Amino acid sequence: MAELLYIDPGSSSFLVQAIIAAVLGIGFFFKNIWAYIKSIFVRTPKKTDDNQAH
Amino acid sequence: MEKTITRHPSSYRDPSGFIFTVNHILYRQVNKVFAPHFDHFIRSGCYQRLADKKWLISHEEIRENMTGGPDWHTTLKPAPLHCITYPYEWSFDMLKDAALLTLQLVKESVAFGCILKDATPYNIQWHQGRLIFMDTLSFEQYSEEEPWIAYRQFCECFLGPLLLMHYKKMPLQPLLLAWPEGIPLPVIKSLLPGRSKFSLYTFLHIHLNTGISVKGNASPQKKIKFSRQKLLNLVNSLETLVKKLRLPPHQSTWSAYYEEACGRSNYLGEKKRIIREWVGGLNGFKTAADLGANDGAFSRILAENDIYTIAADFDPFCINNLYHFIRENGIRNIQPVIADLANPSPAIGVNNEERTSLISRLKVDLCLALALIHHLSIGKNIPFEMTADFLSRIGSKALIIEFIPKTDVKVQLMLSVKKDIYTSYTEDNFKKAFQSYFKIARQEPIGDSGRVLYFMILHEK
Repeated sequence: MAELLYIDPGSSSFLVQAIIAAVLGIGFFFKNIWAYIKSIFVRTPKKTDDNQAH
Repeated sequence: MEKTITRHPSSYRDPSGFIFTVNHILYRQVNKVFAPHFDHFIRSGCYQRLADKKWLISHEEIRENMTGGPDWHTTLKPAPLHCITYPYEWSFDMLKDAALLTLQLVKESVAFGCILKDATPYNIQWHQGRLIFMDTLSFEQYSEEEPWIAYRQFCECFLGPLLLMHYKKMPLQPLLLAWPEGIPLPVIKSLLPGRSKFSLYTFLHIHLNTGISVKGNASPQKKIKFSRQKLLNLVNSLETLVKKLRLPPHQSTWSAYYEEACGRSNYLGEKKRIIREWVGGLNGFKTAADLGANDGAFSRILAENDIYTIAADFDPFCINNLYHFIRENGIRNIQPVIADLANPSPAIGVNNEERTSLISRLKVDLCLALALIHHLSIGKNIPFEMTADFLSRIGSKALIIEFIPKTDVKVQLMLSVKKDIYTSYTEDNFKKAFQSYFKIARQEPIGDSGRVLYFMILHEK
């Protein structure tokens, strides 16, 4: 923990983000394949915009 | 008139600029060093888009070097705010919406070639019935090869506190007061239950993140290339996780208080009638604080009379319910705040000036203290004189206060579990103590409840 005092905590998150992004990339890759397979068999309803926090 | 320029004590971290006040009006200076980023933010249309969506506070650009400093690039005059509040005074869903707003800002700004360089809830404030981002200088030019600089800050300031409240099923706002810069990841990780590891996104963003951060610091940093898709994957995963977090409905201290109160010979109806009549006759009252606001029934009466009302209660569930009500009904002049009146938020941060005390921020024309005095006097042993002094520092013009006699069923309930040492708790002593600060203008009993409403006018100082 001592080294945390000398290094900007933001910089250490670069490596973390690279690893997490890689894991997420694999996850999304399979998710997309699954969504494609599902879309062949299931008619999905039109997506509504849920991009509003308020 | 001579200008007095005061740099805000919290505006020292970022060399991009700073905020200052001139004759009580707030301005933001953009420094030369940040000019390329700021100009891109404006020219790309990003500012306009975010301001149009009411996600970012709008500003007026004033091309005048008001501070006279050599670093000046431009000056902004942001839309004014009523009352600054801090995340430890927000309910769970307020913090959650602030987190979602932060993530939406990242996604939206990336489309314009900008990115949010900070992810702290202190950049978000209450404005016209919603939470809005304040720091116009938090947007810098986006480089696709760079990861999100504020990722760890987001995890410590937003995600961690929300996860802890979600898993522990209790409001934990005081933790945000203890760690205003965000709860350190190792602390969050150790406080979360082991089962949280089985949630993929919680595992990645907290458990794995903590593990790698601690180990990763020991070795020199390698240059790691990122991409826009990776950034969006990261932000989308955070958004999915935050959206799932809930603080389960809970029987709050005041839940069903009004239902019970209604049963008491139309006590509530009569009280509303009197308040409506008194408030309707007020002139020149623009702001109010409803202390012990509960679900905001009386704040709504004030708001209906065009009085901007800060509704404060120490119960986080009440404030959360009120927040939902405000959001769903689009009410613009009620501001919900969690406040323990026997322990209002202190001044914290650098020089104890960075985040000011609640009392210094709560400055209104009218103070409303309904069914409150017995909680302070008998529940917390605060003498009438001290309560009168406290309330006189909040309402600069008048006070509406309800006196609850010792014979009242609620007071008797409180005294059933503690020794009655409150011999001075009488209506006469109450009036005497308050008359040192206020002039009693009106008083009216509430039906046959035994409770009495007082309208008091503050003595001129």
